[in-house]
Amino acid sequence: MNCEWVQQNVTLYLYNELADDARHEVEQHIARCKACAAELADQQEFQARLSLLPVEEPSASFLAASRMRLQEALETAEQNKAWYHRLTFDPTAWLRQVRFSPALAAVIFMVGFGGGIGAMYKAMPGRAATSGAVDHTPGPPSISSIISIEKQPGTNDVTVQYDKRMPESVEGSVSDPKVQKLLLYAAKSNENSGVRLNSVEALASKADDPEVRETLTYAMRYDSNPGVRLTALDGLASHVKEDIRVRNAVLDSLLNDSNPGVRKGALDALGPVSADSSVRMALQQLAKDDPSDYIRSASKRMLESMPNIY
Amino acid sequence: MEGQAQSRMNDTELIREAQRGNSSAFEELVRQYDGPVLRLAYHLTRSEQDAQDIYQEAFLKAYRNIGNFRFECSFYTWIYRIVTNLCLDLLRKRQVRKEDSAVMTDSEGGSYDLMDNVADERSGASPERDLMRRELGARIAKALTKLTPRERMVFEMKHYQGLKLRTIGEILNTTEETAKNTLFRGTQKLRAALKDMKT
Repeated sequence: MNCEWVQQNVTLYLYNELADDARHEVEQHIARCKACAAELADQQEFQARLSLLPVEEPSASFLAASRMRLQEALETAEQNKAWYHRLTFDPTAWLRQVRFSPALAAVIFMVGFGGGIGAMYKAMPGRAATSGAVDHTPGPPSISSIISIEKQPGTNDVTVQYDKRMPESVEGSVSDPKVQKLLLYAAKSNENSGVRLNSVEALASKADDPEVRETLTYAMRYDSNPGVRLTALDGLASHVKEDIRVRNAVLDSLLNDSNPGVRKGALDALGPVSADSSVRMALQQLAKDDPSDYIRSASKRMLESMPNIY
Repeated sequence: MEGQAQSRMNDTELIREAQRGNSSAFEELVRQYDGPVLRLAYHLTRSEQDAQDIYQEAFLKAYRNIGNFRFECSFYTWIYRIVTNLCLDLLRKRQVRKEDSAVMTDSEGGSYDLMDNVADERSGASPERDLMRRELGARIAKALTKLTPRERMVFEMKHYQGLKLRTIGEILNTTEETAKNTLFRGTQKLRAALKDMKT
């Protein structure tokens, strides 16, 4: 082993990439050769200098935001099937695809629901089909919109074309599919926050259903009312362990919700999965930066109670 | 070792599920590997926006093509191969456009200087010392941009991410020997560029 070989392999020696015997020989050579020892010292100093540009861990919020963005893209992404997969039809995979297209399902439901109501009104005003739930028609129809107004030539008469809205009500268990569909619709679409709150509260008991969880997650992330967000969070809390989407969404609320009460609720909900690396990173960030004293100290307490795995 | 075998077995099950169209299984795979992927992309590009784009494109590509995954390598190697190819493309584009300067853009499109990103978090560091360290950090970042994209990639994976050369070779579809030579060349270039730098 000569100096040239040693000097060319000092880098590999420092990166622990030499075989044991070669490593031993390098050490023996360096112990008796000043030039090679100087080369080693120089390389070590060079590596120490490089530590001035440290590798920064992406922050928890950056990681969470990246995951959210990816999840949204995955909703619409399709897999390129291997050629032999194209020849077969897998009904379970198809069903799964449908199940994981909540946006499409919501659109189909809304169109179907709206279309059904409209068609029903034209054909049989005041009467609705039942599916176990009891329907009521308590009030008179009201005008929902004016479609057109045409003046009859040569007279004072006009033709007003308008849509009527017929109020209806349904009474039944939250488990009833028809009631559940109405609740899901109300939780996402109603302008009245009291209605949204009541529907989310009713749905919270049915969070075992993936479609309900999807709606609760939507409410927790996007509802403008903190009370609705908190109620949705309560309903989802018991699912953070087994449903990754729920866990991600709660993590997002923990880091980004403007309301400290919701952030506190998210912190409590994530307790059972605090060993998860993304949760741990979020806690470290909150312990350092959260504007709320309570959340900073609660995050610190949670971190202290965890076994140190690093 | 047992843990590694267990994780490999879990990966195999998750990949098979993902191949059947189960997106939850795929998301579980993402969660196992996305931290290091984002860290690699961020350190290489020094831009949150670029790093997030690479992260997004890499996992979408993996999802679309998981049906063609033949278990000839680990999922880890496979996803790193996708990510490094995307990073290499970006580094090559940047080299052509010669737009690699110390000024980068963040996720909101605002610009910042690389120097600001090289903070000294040690307690008791004086502002002068902190400024000096930032300047030195920015110099290293600049010197790294002078490497060829492939040298940069090998150096990044070895020095900053601590991967074995054998794995790096596998990821870059080359031999361990070639990865060694590339690392040697990259290191020599960097040493020359930073020779007069004192800490």
